[in-house]
Amino acid sequence: MTLAFDALDISDSPLARLDPRWKLAALSLAILITGFLQTLPAIFSALAIAVLMLAVARLPVRFLLWRYGAFVLFLMLFLVLLPITEGRQGLFAALRVGSRALAIYSFGLVLLGTAPFATTIHAGQALGIPRPLTQITLMSYRYIFVLADEFSRIRLALRLRGFRNKMNRHSYRTVGNVTGALLVRGADRAERIGQAMRCRGFDGHFRTLYRFRTRRADVLLFAALMAAMGGIFAWDWYLRT
Amino acid sequence: MDNPAIQVRGLTFAYPGSPPALRNLHFQIECGETVGLIGPNGAGKTTLFLCLAGVLPAPRGSASILGFDPADPAQRRQLPQRIGVVFQNSDDQFVNATVFDDVAFGPLNLDLPPEEVRERVTEALTLTGLAGLEERPPFHLSGGEKRRVALAGVLAMRPEILLLDEPTMFLDPRGRRELAGFLHNLPGTKIIATHDLEFVLQMCRRVLLLDAGELRADGKAREVLSQTELMDRHGLEVPYSLRAK
Repeated sequence: MTLAFDALDISDSPLARLDPRWKLAALSLAILITGFLQTLPAIFSALAIAVLMLAVARLPVRFLLWRYGAFVLFLMLFLVLLPITEGRQGLFAALRVGSRALAIYSFGLVLLGTAPFATTIHAGQALGIPRPLTQITLMSYRYIFVLADEFSRIRLALRLRGFRNKMNRHSYRTVGNVTGALLVRGADRAERIGQAMRCRGFDGHFRTLYRFRTRRADVLLFAALMAAMGGIFAWDWYLRT
Repeated sequence: MDNPAIQVRGLTFAYPGSPPALRNLHFQIECGETVGLIGPNGAGKTTLFLCLAGVLPAPRGSASILGFDPADPAQRRQLPQRIGVVFQNSDDQFVNATVFDDVAFGPLNLDLPPEEVRERVTEALTLTGLAGLEERPPFHLSGGEKRRVALAGVLAMRPEILLLDEPTMFLDPRGRRELAGFLHNLPGTKIIATHDLEFVLQMCRRVLLLDAGELRADGKAREVLSQTELMDRHGLEVPYSLRAK
Protein backbone atom coordinates (compact mmCIF):
# COMPACT_ATOMS: atom_id res chain seq x y z
CA MET A 1 0.00 0.00 0.00
CA THR A 2 1.21 3.46 -0.78
CA LEU A 3 1.79 6.06 1.89
CA ALA A 4 0.76 8.73 -0.55
CA PHE A 5 -1.26 11.38 0.98
CA ASP A 6 -3.93 10.45 3.43
CA ALA A 7 -6.54 13.12 3.64
CA LEU A 8 -8.03 13.84 7.05
CA ASP A 9 -11.80 13.48 7.09
CA ILE A 10 -13.01 16.94 8.02
CA SER A 11 -15.74 16.45 10.60
CA ASP A 12 -18.61 18.87 10.62
CA SER A 13 -18.23 21.58 13.26
CA PRO A 14 -18.95 25.30 13.60
CA LEU A 15 -15.30 26.00 12.73
CA ALA A 16 -15.32 23.69 9.68
CA ARG A 17 -18.25 25.66 8.27
CA LEU A 18 -16.41 28.99 8.39
CA ASP A 19 -14.88 30.68 5.34
CA PRO A 20 -11.26 29.39 5.19
CA ARG A 21 -9.95 32.88 4.39
CA TRP A 22 -11.26 34.43 7.60
CA LYS A 23 -10.17 31.39 9.58
CA LEU A 24 -6.67 31.49 8.09
CA ALA A 25 -6.34 35.22 8.77
CA ALA A 26 -7.62 34.93 12.36
CA LEU A 27 -5.55 31.89 13.30
CA SER A 28 -2.37 33.20 11.62
CA LEU A 29 -2.63 36.42 13.63
CA ALA A 30 -3.35 34.43 16.79
CA ILE A 31 -0.23 32.34 16.15
CA LEU A 32 1.83 35.48 15.55
CA ILE A 33 0.61 37.16 18.75
CA THR A 34 1.21 33.98 20.79
CA GLY A 35 4.76 33.93 19.49
CA PHE A 36 5.39 37.35 21.06
CA LEU A 37 3.93 36.57 24.51
CA GLN A 38 6.47 36.50 27.34
CA THR A 39 4.62 36.03 30.63
CA LEU A 40 3.23 32.72 31.84
CA PRO A 41 -0.33 33.91 32.64
CA ALA A 42 -0.69 35.41 29.15
CA ILE A 43 0.73 32.31 27.45
CA PHE A 44 -1.57 30.03 29.47
CA SER A 45 -4.54 32.19 28.44
CA ALA A 46 -3.61 31.83 24.77
CA LEU A 47 -3.25 28.09 25.30
CA ALA A 48 -6.69 27.99 26.91
CA ILE A 49 -8.21 29.74 23.88
CA ALA A 50 -6.47 27.32 21.52
CA VAL A 51 -7.75 24.31 23.50
CA LEU A 52 -11.26 25.80 23.54
CA MET A 53 -11.10 26.16 19.75
CA LEU A 54 -9.91 22.55 19.43
CA ALA A 55 -12.95 21.47 21.45
CA VAL A 56 -15.27 23.48 19.20
CA ALA A 57 -13.52 22.02 16.12
CA ARG A 58 -14.50 18.47 17.23
CA LEU A 59 -11.35 16.94 15.81
CA PRO A 60 -11.06 13.14 16.07
CA VAL A 61 -9.39 12.08 19.34
CA ARG A 62 -7.10 9.67 17.47
CA PHE A 63 -5.92 12.50 15.21
CA LEU A 64 -5.14 14.66 18.25
CA LEU A 65 -3.43 11.90 20.25
CA TRP A 66 -1.06 11.06 17.40
CA ARG A 67 -0.15 14.65 16.70
CA TYR A 68 0.22 15.74 20.33
CA GLY A 69 2.14 12.57 21.17
CA ALA A 70 4.78 13.24 18.53
CA PHE A 71 4.97 16.94 19.40
CA VAL A 72 5.25 16.45 23.17
CA LEU A 73 8.02 13.91 22.63
CA PHE A 74 9.92 16.57 20.71
CA LEU A 75 9.19 19.18 23.41
CA MET A 76 10.43 16.87 26.19
CA LEU A 77 13.96 17.69 25.13
CA PHE A 78 13.49 21.29 26.32
CA LEU A 79 11.15 20.50 29.20
CA VAL A 80 13.63 18.10 30.78
CA LEU A 81 16.97 19.71 29.89
CA LEU A 82 16.23 23.33 30.79
CA PRO A 83 15.31 22.76 34.49
CA ILE A 84 18.34 20.46 34.90
CA THR A 85 20.84 22.90 33.41
CA GLU A 86 19.32 26.23 34.54
CA GLY A 87 17.53 25.35 37.80
CA ARG A 88 14.44 27.39 38.82
CA GLN A 89 14.95 29.89 35.98
CA GLY A 90 15.16 26.99 33.57
CA LEU A 91 11.91 25.53 34.91
CA PHE A 92 10.06 28.78 34.13
CA ALA A 93 11.76 29.02 30.74
CA ALA A 94 10.74 25.42 29.98
CA LEU A 95 7.15 26.18 30.98
CA ARG A 96 7.14 29.27 28.76
CA VAL A 97 8.65 27.48 25.77
CA GLY A 98 6.45 24.41 26.21
CA SER A 99 3.11 26.15 26.72
CA ARG A 100 3.76 28.70 23.96
CA ALA A 101 4.72 25.94 21.53
CA LEU A 102 1.62 23.93 22.53
CA ALA A 103 -0.63 26.95 22.02
CA ILE A 104 0.83 27.67 18.56
CA TYR A 105 0.65 23.99 17.64
CA SER A 106 -2.98 23.81 18.77
CA PHE A 107 -3.96 26.85 16.69
CA GLY A 108 -2.21 25.16 13.75
CA LEU A 109 -4.15 21.94 14.32
CA VAL A 110 -7.43 23.87 14.37
CA LEU A 111 -6.47 25.40 11.02
CA LEU A 112 -5.40 22.13 9.39
CA GLY A 113 -8.13 20.00 10.96
CA THR A 114 -11.13 22.09 9.97
CA ALA A 115 -10.56 22.48 6.23
CA PRO A 116 -8.82 20.41 3.53
CA PHE A 117 -5.19 21.43 3.21
CA ALA A 118 -5.61 22.43 -0.44
CA THR A 119 -8.56 24.67 0.45
CA THR A 120 -6.53 26.39 3.17
CA ILE A 121 -3.75 27.01 0.64
CA HIS A 122 -6.27 28.41 -1.85
CA ALA A 123 -7.55 30.65 0.95
CA GLY A 124 -3.98 31.89 1.41
CA GLN A 125 -3.80 32.62 -2.30
CA ALA A 126 -7.09 34.54 -2.06
CA LEU A 127 -5.62 36.56 0.83
CA GLY A 128 -2.74 37.67 -1.35
CA ILE A 129 0.00 35.19 -0.47
CA PRO A 130 2.17 35.11 -3.62
CA ARG A 131 1.24 32.31 -6.02
CA PRO A 132 4.76 30.75 -6.18
CA LEU A 133 4.69 30.38 -2.39
CA THR A 134 1.29 28.68 -2.33
CA GLN A 135 2.28 26.40 -5.20
CA ILE A 136 5.53 25.40 -3.53
CA THR A 137 3.58 24.61 -0.34
CA LEU A 138 0.99 22.51 -2.17
CA MET A 139 3.54 20.63 -4.23
CA SER A 140 5.82 20.09 -1.21
CA TYR A 141 2.83 18.56 0.55
CA ARG A 142 2.30 16.26 -2.44
CA TYR A 143 5.98 15.33 -2.74
CA ILE A 144 6.52 14.64 0.97
CA PHE A 145 4.27 11.63 0.51
CA VAL A 146 5.94 10.68 -2.76
CA LEU A 147 9.32 10.66 -0.99
CA ALA A 148 7.90 8.77 1.99
CA ASP A 149 6.49 6.21 -0.42
CA GLU A 150 9.83 5.80 -2.20
CA PHE A 151 11.64 5.58 1.13
CA SER A 152 9.38 2.79 2.41
CA ARG A 153 10.03 0.80 -0.78
CA ILE A 154 13.82 1.27 -0.57
CA ARG A 155 13.78 0.33 3.12
CA LEU A 156 11.84 -2.82 2.38
CA ALA A 157 14.28 -3.73 -0.40
CA LEU A 158 17.20 -3.23 2.01
CA ARG A 159 15.64 -5.39 4.70
CA LEU A 160 14.87 -8.14 2.20
CA ARG A 161 18.57 -8.19 1.36
CA GLY A 162 19.51 -8.60 5.00
CA PHE A 163 20.50 -5.01 5.81
CA ARG A 164 20.35 -4.02 9.49
CA ASN A 165 21.36 -0.50 10.50
CA LYS A 166 24.44 -0.60 12.74
CA MET A 167 27.08 1.92 13.83
CA ASN A 168 29.63 0.95 11.18
CA ARG A 169 31.11 2.20 7.93
CA HIS A 170 28.94 -0.09 5.78
CA SER A 171 25.74 1.28 7.36
CA TYR A 172 26.81 4.91 6.95
CA ARG A 173 27.68 4.30 3.32
CA THR A 174 24.37 2.51 2.70
CA VAL A 175 22.38 5.33 4.33
CA GLY A 176 24.25 7.82 2.13
CA ASN A 177 23.50 5.79 -0.99
CA VAL A 178 19.85 5.41 -0.01
CA THR A 179 19.55 9.17 0.48
CA GLY A 180 21.00 9.70 -3.00
CA ALA A 181 18.71 7.05 -4.54
CA LEU A 182 15.75 8.59 -2.77
CA LEU A 183 16.47 12.01 -4.22
CA VAL A 184 17.04 10.65 -7.74
CA ARG A 185 13.91 8.48 -7.70
CA GLY A 186 11.90 11.27 -6.10
CA ALA A 187 13.08 13.69 -8.79
CA ASP A 188 12.17 11.20 -11.55
CA ARG A 189 8.73 10.71 -10.10
CA ALA A 190 8.25 14.45 -9.60
CA GLU A 191 9.11 14.92 -13.28
CA ARG A 192 6.46 12.39 -14.32
CA ILE A 193 3.85 13.96 -12.04
CA GLY A 194 4.66 17.36 -13.55
CA GLN A 195 4.26 15.96 -17.07
CA ALA A 196 0.92 14.36 -16.16
CA MET A 197 -0.29 17.68 -14.74
CA ARG A 198 0.71 19.58 -17.88
CA CYS A 199 -1.10 16.97 -20.01
CA ARG A 200 -4.25 17.88 -18.09
CA GLY A 201 -3.86 21.56 -18.83
CA PHE A 202 -2.04 22.71 -15.67
CA ASP A 203 -0.63 26.16 -16.37
CA GLY A 204 0.93 26.92 -12.99
CA HIS A 205 -2.29 28.06 -11.37
CA PHE A 206 -4.18 25.80 -8.96
CA ARG A 207 -7.93 26.14 -9.24
CA THR A 208 -10.64 24.92 -6.88
CA LEU A 209 -14.37 24.27 -7.02
CA TYR A 210 -14.67 25.81 -3.56
CA ARG A 211 -16.23 29.26 -3.67
CA PHE A 212 -15.27 31.53 -0.78
CA ARG A 213 -18.14 33.44 0.79
CA THR A 214 -18.05 35.75 3.78
CA ARG A 215 -20.86 35.33 6.32
CA ARG A 216 -21.58 37.02 9.62
CA ALA A 217 -20.12 34.09 11.60
CA ASP A 218 -16.77 34.53 9.81
CA VAL A 219 -16.49 38.19 10.79
CA LEU A 220 -17.65 37.39 14.33
CA LEU A 221 -15.00 34.69 14.81
CA PHE A 222 -12.31 36.99 13.45
CA ALA A 223 -13.39 39.88 15.66
CA ALA A 224 -13.78 37.72 18.79
CA LEU A 225 -10.43 35.99 18.38
CA MET A 226 -8.63 39.26 17.62
CA ALA A 227 -10.25 40.95 20.62
CA ALA A 228 -9.24 38.07 22.89
CA MET A 229 -5.70 37.84 21.56
CA GLY A 230 -5.32 41.64 21.56
CA GLY A 231 -6.44 41.70 25.20
CA ILE A 232 -3.96 38.96 26.10
CA PHE A 233 -1.18 40.81 24.31
CA ALA A 234 -1.99 44.02 26.21
CA TRP A 235 -2.12 42.12 29.50
CA ASP A 236 1.24 40.50 28.71
CA TRP A 237 2.69 43.94 27.98
CA TYR A 238 1.30 45.29 31.28
CA LEU A 239 2.70 42.34 33.27
CA ARG A 240 6.13 42.79 31.70
CA THR A 241 6.36 46.52 32.33
CA MET B 1 -10.96 17.39 -46.39
CA ASP B 2 -10.84 16.82 -42.61
CA ASN B 3 -7.52 16.98 -40.79
CA PRO B 4 -6.11 13.59 -39.80
CA ALA B 5 -6.17 13.05 -36.04
CA ILE B 6 -2.38 12.86 -35.87
CA GLN B 7 0.15 13.66 -38.53
CA VAL B 8 3.85 13.21 -37.82
CA ARG B 9 6.38 14.47 -40.37
CA GLY B 10 10.06 13.94 -39.65
CA LEU B 11 9.74 14.08 -35.85
CA THR B 12 13.10 13.89 -34.13
CA PHE B 13 13.60 14.46 -30.42
CA ALA B 14 16.60 14.13 -28.10
CA TYR B 15 16.82 14.60 -24.34
CA PRO B 16 19.62 17.04 -23.40
CA GLY B 17 23.02 15.37 -23.61
CA SER B 18 21.62 12.10 -25.03
CA PRO B 19 21.33 10.58 -28.49
CA PRO B 20 17.95 11.06 -30.22
CA ALA B 21 15.11 9.19 -28.53
CA LEU B 22 12.97 9.64 -31.65
CA ARG B 23 14.47 9.71 -35.14
CA ASN B 24 12.75 11.12 -38.19
CA LEU B 25 9.32 9.59 -37.58
CA HIS B 26 6.66 9.76 -40.28
CA PHE B 27 3.12 8.45 -39.88
CA GLN B 28 -0.49 9.51 -39.95
CA ILE B 29 -3.46 8.37 -37.90
CA GLU B 30 -6.99 9.03 -39.05
CA CYS B 31 -9.84 10.12 -36.79
CA GLY B 32 -11.50 7.16 -35.07
CA GLU B 33 -8.58 4.75 -35.59
CA THR B 34 -7.29 2.58 -32.74
CA VAL B 35 -3.58 1.96 -33.24
CA GLY B 36 -1.18 -0.18 -31.22
CA LEU B 37 2.29 1.21 -30.51
CA ILE B 38 4.71 -1.57 -29.72
CA GLY B 39 8.43 -1.86 -29.18
CA PRO B 40 11.00 -2.95 -26.60
CA ASN B 41 11.78 -0.94 -23.45
CA GLY B 42 13.44 2.36 -24.30
CA ALA B 43 12.03 2.34 -27.85
CA GLY B 44 10.64 5.88 -27.40
CA LYS B 45 6.94 5.09 -26.96
CA THR B 46 6.40 7.33 -23.91
CA THR B 47 8.62 10.06 -25.40
CA LEU B 48 6.48 10.02 -28.55
CA PHE B 49 3.32 10.43 -26.45
CA LEU B 50 4.81 13.34 -24.53
CA CYS B 51 5.90 15.03 -27.77
CA LEU B 52 2.42 14.62 -29.26
CA ALA B 53 0.83 16.05 -26.12
CA GLY B 54 3.16 19.05 -26.28
CA VAL B 55 4.84 18.25 -22.96
CA LEU B 56 8.24 17.63 -24.57
CA PRO B 57 9.37 20.22 -27.12
CA ALA B 58 9.23 18.70 -30.60
CA PRO B 59 10.54 20.77 -33.53
CA ARG B 60 7.97 23.10 -35.11
CA GLY B 61 5.96 21.57 -37.90
CA SER B 62 7.02 18.00 -37.14
CA ALA B 63 3.65 17.01 -35.65
CA SER B 64 0.07 18.06 -36.04
CA ILE B 65 -2.74 17.08 -33.69
CA LEU B 66 -6.13 17.78 -35.29
CA GLY B 67 -4.40 20.62 -37.10
CA PHE B 68 -2.68 22.02 -33.97
CA ASP B 69 1.11 22.14 -33.74
CA PRO B 70 2.28 20.99 -30.26
CA ALA B 71 5.48 22.99 -30.72
CA ASP B 72 3.60 26.29 -31.00
CA PRO B 73 2.98 27.70 -27.48
CA ALA B 74 -0.39 29.25 -28.38
CA GLN B 75 -1.64 26.09 -30.12
CA ARG B 76 -0.17 23.86 -27.39
CA ARG B 77 -2.54 25.45 -24.86
CA GLN B 78 -5.45 24.10 -26.92
CA LEU B 79 -4.18 20.52 -26.76
CA PRO B 80 -5.20 19.28 -23.26
CA GLN B 81 -8.86 19.35 -24.26
CA ARG B 82 -8.14 17.49 -27.50
CA ILE B 83 -5.53 14.90 -26.59
CA GLY B 84 -5.43 13.00 -23.31
CA VAL B 85 -2.57 10.89 -21.98
CA VAL B 86 -3.12 8.06 -19.51
CA PHE B 87 0.23 7.40 -17.86
CA GLN B 88 1.83 4.03 -17.24
CA ASN B 89 1.73 4.43 -13.46
CA SER B 90 -1.64 5.79 -12.37
CA ASP B 91 -0.15 7.08 -9.09
CA ASP B 92 1.85 9.62 -11.12
CA GLN B 93 -1.38 11.09 -12.39
CA PHE B 94 -3.05 11.80 -9.05
CA VAL B 95 -2.73 15.32 -7.69
CA ASN B 96 -5.64 15.55 -5.31
CA ALA B 97 -6.71 13.80 -2.16
CA THR B 98 -10.13 12.55 -3.34
CA VAL B 99 -11.29 10.86 -6.53
CA PHE B 100 -13.76 13.67 -7.24
CA ASP B 101 -11.17 16.45 -6.84
CA ASP B 102 -8.66 14.54 -8.90
CA VAL B 103 -11.03 14.03 -11.82
CA ALA B 104 -12.03 17.71 -11.54
CA PHE B 105 -8.39 18.84 -11.81
CA GLY B 106 -8.34 18.87 -15.64
CA PRO B 107 -11.73 20.52 -16.25
CA LEU B 108 -10.87 23.19 -13.67
CA ASN B 109 -7.71 23.94 -15.63
CA LEU B 110 -9.93 24.66 -18.65
CA ASP B 111 -11.59 27.45 -16.62
CA LEU B 112 -15.03 25.91 -17.06
CA PRO B 113 -17.92 27.07 -14.87
CA PRO B 114 -18.30 25.01 -11.64
CA GLU B 115 -21.58 23.44 -12.81
CA GLU B 116 -19.97 22.14 -15.97
CA VAL B 117 -16.94 20.85 -14.04
CA ARG B 118 -19.27 18.90 -11.72
CA GLU B 119 -21.25 17.61 -14.70
CA ARG B 120 -18.11 16.43 -16.49
CA VAL B 121 -16.75 14.76 -13.36
CA THR B 122 -20.03 12.95 -12.72
CA GLU B 123 -20.18 11.87 -16.36
CA ALA B 124 -16.57 10.59 -16.37
CA LEU B 125 -17.05 8.73 -13.07
CA THR B 126 -20.26 7.12 -14.30
CA LEU B 127 -18.63 6.17 -17.60
CA THR B 128 -15.72 4.50 -15.82
CA GLY B 129 -17.95 2.81 -13.24
CA LEU B 130 -16.57 4.80 -10.33
CA ALA B 131 -19.78 6.42 -9.11
CA GLY B 132 -19.86 6.13 -5.33
CA LEU B 133 -16.09 6.40 -4.91
CA GLU B 134 -16.01 10.20 -5.18
CA GLU B 135 -14.71 10.86 -1.66
CA ARG B 136 -12.16 8.01 -1.56
CA PRO B 137 -8.43 8.84 -1.73
CA PRO B 138 -7.30 7.59 -5.17
CA PHE B 139 -4.10 6.10 -3.72
CA HIS B 140 -6.03 3.57 -1.65
CA LEU B 141 -7.95 2.01 -4.54
CA SER B 142 -7.16 -1.27 -6.29
CA GLY B 143 -4.97 -1.30 -9.42
CA GLY B 144 -7.98 -1.53 -11.72
CA GLU B 145 -9.84 1.25 -9.92
CA LYS B 146 -6.76 3.48 -9.99
CA ARG B 147 -6.48 2.94 -13.72
CA ARG B 148 -10.14 3.90 -14.10
CA VAL B 149 -9.64 7.05 -12.00
CA ALA B 150 -6.70 8.01 -14.20
CA LEU B 151 -8.88 7.37 -17.27
CA ALA B 152 -11.77 9.35 -15.77
CA GLY B 153 -9.41 12.27 -15.11
CA VAL B 154 -8.52 12.31 -18.79
CA LEU B 155 -12.05 11.61 -20.10
CA ALA B 156 -13.40 14.55 -18.09
CA MET B 157 -11.42 16.74 -20.49
CA ARG B 158 -13.47 15.18 -23.33
CA PRO B 159 -10.45 14.65 -25.61
CA GLU B 160 -10.86 13.46 -29.17
CA ILE B 161 -7.59 11.53 -29.01
CA LEU B 162 -6.53 9.20 -26.22
CA LEU B 163 -2.94 8.05 -25.73
CA LEU B 164 -2.70 5.10 -23.35
CA ASP B 165 0.74 4.18 -22.01
CA GLU B 166 0.88 0.53 -20.88
CA PRO B 167 -2.81 0.51 -19.91
CA THR B 168 -2.83 -3.16 -18.85
CA MET B 169 0.17 -2.88 -16.54
CA PHE B 170 -0.66 -3.64 -12.86
CA LEU B 171 -4.06 -5.04 -13.90
CA ASP B 172 -5.27 -8.51 -13.00
CA PRO B 173 -7.09 -10.53 -15.71
CA ARG B 174 -10.48 -9.20 -14.65
CA GLY B 175 -9.25 -5.57 -14.67
CA ARG B 176 -7.67 -6.16 -18.08
CA ARG B 177 -10.91 -7.61 -19.44
CA GLU B 178 -12.95 -4.71 -18.06
CA LEU B 179 -10.52 -2.20 -19.56
CA ALA B 180 -10.68 -3.89 -22.97
CA GLY B 181 -14.48 -3.77 -22.92
CA PHE B 182 -14.47 -0.17 -21.82
CA LEU B 183 -11.96 1.01 -24.45
CA HIS B 184 -13.76 -0.96 -27.13
CA ASN B 185 -16.93 1.05 -26.54
CA LEU B 186 -15.14 4.37 -26.21
CA PRO B 187 -15.41 6.53 -29.34
CA GLY B 188 -12.50 8.60 -30.64
CA THR B 189 -8.94 8.05 -31.78
CA LYS B 190 -6.76 5.87 -29.57
CA ILE B 191 -3.09 4.92 -29.51
CA ILE B 192 -2.23 2.12 -27.13
CA ALA B 193 1.44 1.70 -26.23
CA THR B 194 1.95 -1.69 -24.66
CA HIS B 195 4.01 -4.86 -24.36
CA ASP B 196 0.77 -6.81 -24.06
CA LEU B 197 0.55 -7.95 -27.67
CA GLU B 198 -2.59 -10.03 -27.14
CA PHE B 199 -4.26 -6.83 -25.98
CA VAL B 200 -3.05 -5.08 -29.16
CA LEU B 201 -4.53 -7.90 -31.25
CA GLN B 202 -7.79 -7.61 -29.37
CA MET B 203 -8.06 -3.81 -29.63
CA CYS B 204 -6.20 -2.58 -32.72
CA ARG B 205 -6.36 -3.21 -36.44
CA ARG B 206 -3.16 -1.30 -37.10
CA VAL B 207 0.16 -1.33 -35.30
CA LEU B 208 3.28 0.84 -35.28
CA LEU B 209 6.55 -0.84 -34.27
CA LEU B 210 9.09 1.51 -32.73
CA ASP B 211 12.66 0.54 -31.83
CA ALA B 212 15.56 2.80 -30.83
CA GLY B 213 13.42 5.82 -31.74
CA GLU B 214 12.81 4.67 -35.32
CA LEU B 215 9.60 3.46 -36.89
CA ARG B 216 10.39 -0.12 -38.01
CA ALA B 217 6.96 -1.27 -39.15
CA ASP B 218 3.53 0.22 -39.77
CA GLY B 219 0.78 -2.12 -40.89
CA LYS B 220 -2.10 -4.37 -40.03
CA ALA B 221 -1.73 -5.73 -36.50
CA ARG B 222 -2.12 -9.39 -37.47
CA GLU B 223 0.40 -9.13 -40.29
CA VAL B 224 3.06 -7.27 -38.30
CA LEU B 225 2.69 -9.31 -35.13
CA SER B 226 2.85 -12.64 -36.93
CA GLN B 227 6.31 -11.96 -38.46
CA THR B 228 8.56 -14.03 -36.23
CA GLU B 229 11.81 -12.66 -37.62
CA LEU B 230 10.69 -9.02 -37.31
CA MET B 231 9.43 -9.52 -33.78
CA ASP B 232 12.61 -11.33 -32.68
CA ARG B 233 14.81 -8.64 -34.18
CA HIS B 234 13.10 -5.98 -32.08
CA GLY B 235 13.00 -7.82 -28.79
CA LEU B 236 9.34 -8.88 -29.09
CA GLU B 237 7.53 -12.18 -29.47
CA VAL B 238 4.75 -13.34 -31.74
CA PRO B 239 1.61 -13.44 -29.56
CA TYR B 240 0.59 -16.90 -28.45
CA SER B 241 -2.70 -16.72 -30.35
CA LEU B 242 -0.86 -16.16 -33.67
CA ARG B 243 1.71 -18.94 -33.27
CA ALA B 244 1.35 -21.95 -35.55
CA LYS B 245 -0.35 -24.74 -33.65
